[in-house]
Amino acid sequence: MKITKFLALVVSVFLLLAGCSNGSSSSGPEKTSDGKIKISFINGFTGGDGAYMKKITEAFNKSQDKYVVTELQEKDHYTKFKSGNYDLVVIHGNNLETYKQDGLIQDIGPVIKKAGIKESDFHQAGLDIAKLDGGMFAVPLDIHPLTMFYNKDLIAEAPKTYEDLKALNTKLQAQNKDTYALGIPSSGLVEFYMLMIAAQNGVDLKDGEQLNFAQEEYADALMQFHDIVWEDKVSPPKLGLDGEFQTFMKEAKEGKSYQTAVALTGPWFYGAAKEKYGDKLGVAPIPQIGSELASYGNAHTIALSAKVEDEKVKEGIAEYLKFMFTPENLINWADGGQAPVHLGTLEKIEAEQEKYQIAYQNSKQFENYVSPPQVYQFGEQMRYMNESVFSKLVTTENFTKKDLMKELEKATKVAEQVAATAPKK
Amino acid sequence: MEVNMYKGASHKIWSVLMVSPFVILFLLFWALPLVLGVWVSLHNWNISSGNLGFVSLENYKSILTPGTLYYDLFMKGLKNTLYFVVISVPPLVLISLGLALVIDNLPKRLKPIYRTIFFISYSISVTAVSAIFLWLFNGNGGYFNNVLESIGVIREPINWLGEQPYAWLTILITTVWWTIGFNMMLFINALDEVDVALYEAADLDGAGAFSKFISVTWPQIRNVAFFIIIMTVIASFNLYGQTKLITGGGPEQSTNSLIMNIQTSVFGMNQLGIGSAMAIIMGLIMMVIIVLQYWLSYRNKE
Repeated sequence: MKITKFLALVVSVFLLLAGCSNGSSSSGPEKTSDGKIKISFINGFTGGDGAYMKKITEAFNKSQDKYVVTELQEKDHYTKFKSGNYDLVVIHGNNLETYKQDGLIQDIGPVIKKAGIKESDFHQAGLDIAKLDGGMFAVPLDIHPLTMFYNKDLIAEAPKTYEDLKALNTKLQAQNKDTYALGIPSSGLVEFYMLMIAAQNGVDLKDGEQLNFAQEEYADALMQFHDIVWEDKVSPPKLGLDGEFQTFMKEAKEGKSYQTAVALTGPWFYGAAKEKYGDKLGVAPIPQIGSELASYGNAHTIALSAKVEDEKVKEGIAEYLKFMFTPENLINWADGGQAPVHLGTLEKIEAEQEKYQIAYQNSKQFENYVSPPQVYQFGEQMRYMNESVFSKLVTTENFTKKDLMKELEKATKVAEQVAATAPKK
Repeated sequence: MEVNMYKGASHKIWSVLMVSPFVILFLLFWALPLVLGVWVSLHNWNISSGNLGFVSLENYKSILTPGTLYYDLFMKGLKNTLYFVVISVPPLVLISLGLALVIDNLPKRLKPIYRTIFFISYSISVTAVSAIFLWLFNGNGGYFNNVLESIGVIREPINWLGEQPYAWLTILITTVWWTIGFNMMLFINALDEVDVALYEAADLDGAGAFSKFISVTWPQIRNVAFFIIIMTVIASFNLYGQTKLITGGGPEQSTNSLIMNIQTSVFGMNQLGIGSAMAIIMGLIMMVIIVLQYWLSYRNKE
């Protein structure tokens, strides 16, 4: 008797709690109290660029009275998107294929048509990323390639080839043995480094649905990073996380810290570098290190959740995209340091090269940009390479090509197993 | 009315009401997640595409079959975590005991001051602690390297975060600095409980400091020490924030803890079922270790 009473109490409290949590199951689009249709937009712009995207969204919300876009900037925005209910989401170029295969996003073609946006409004580099199986699965927003910063106090003109870097290094070493041409990190941006060197040697890592690292030519290409550190000694040894940028920002101190004249790094470090070096900071496309000139980097794209079905919501999204992809509005994104792939905006950037220094320099890299291989779970297929192989390659002095090949085979096996987790088609 | 409150049916209702907040929260935040975790672990559950069906023990099988992706993740994480448990528990227990003994022997006025000083680091969040130690242990021009070079201990800078055993040493030093205050507090309380008369008796017998500790103090704080060891083992098993934020699991995945790898399975690879199964195996391993400790300590008492 006692137990049943007690159970009844517990169950009723549970029901009460359950009742509280599941209130809304409405039909039709969600509306604000003054009748505007709500559109939710989630992204991971928690860095300095976040404020510039907010500016665009706020201007849109002010500009009309039918829709309101709620923009959420979250560090863990992918997890939130997977488990929550959002209409628009920013997806990195290398993740797009995964989200498409998982059925989390839908063809955005009809919506951008409604917005009056055409494929020809974008640079080919952006289209290469956003088009999957012939359909547009996102609107390409920007490309953030591996970028070169250089310190004008140490080098007058941007180096264009690896030979230039070696000559610079000899000169710097003669003056001060703690000053080097550039730094190779052991972790951080290493994925950019490894894909850049593949692109610059014409190596295609995509093999069916998976990445195949175990290629002779790729091993040769990667060994160059080992040689940069240990043979040519163009980089100080054993730099850690983000070492390429940290050493660029340091001042050489006798036997205590290294300094580099050049950094091959992410454009998001521009703000910090500009603050330190001001007019002495040079920005340029990356030099040719491999056998041909090519650039690599990731991209932001805006994708449409598979859950969006309501035509009214889609119309609102079209309005929002139309507003965002006009040069006057999207220029804010360039102001935030990103390089948009929208051609109209690029013209505006080119007209004011000095003001949009980093966006302009990076847009020059679009011409020979190689996009990430479109495979399922790209990041997971790369994980062993990112976390283990590159670090071994650049921190072990007597690392041979044979050692590397063994590691590449292991990494390929991991990639194969990850690729096998893809949903059945 | 008021008299009735403590009698009969009314009394029962009251007691049920009083205990129900605990029971409800216990069910909601402990029992329910546990049952749910076991249930999820028996399904092919993908974060993106949802529940893809019941697979019975398939998830456990693939975690425990050599050569699979999940076996490598789990075993590497387990190995790293066990290594950390082994290197971290002795210093975390012994140093805290040492500090507690020092503070116990301080003049009364100074006790609260030092107790606060040593305990205060425990109240800092792991994010802040990691930021501090990341800066201190930076390989290129970091504080520790500068100090060690200035006093001539090392000639070449040490790559604290990118090379073993230094990376583990960094994590260990950080953890000791961060959490030592908690164990110390427990030991101080245990030492306070020791009957002063026992020390007086030992003094009369002419016992020295060391033999006083062995014959008087230790038997009195034994049970607390045992509790502290178990709590420390559990805490070390749950290694996550420090390695995530300071070494990022590196160099070469050698500081990837089990929890980090469970997180990778769930949020990186989308395999919620696999991740739940890993978490449950981890829980079982921890239980076995704790039961073993319990049994060893019990046997010693006999």
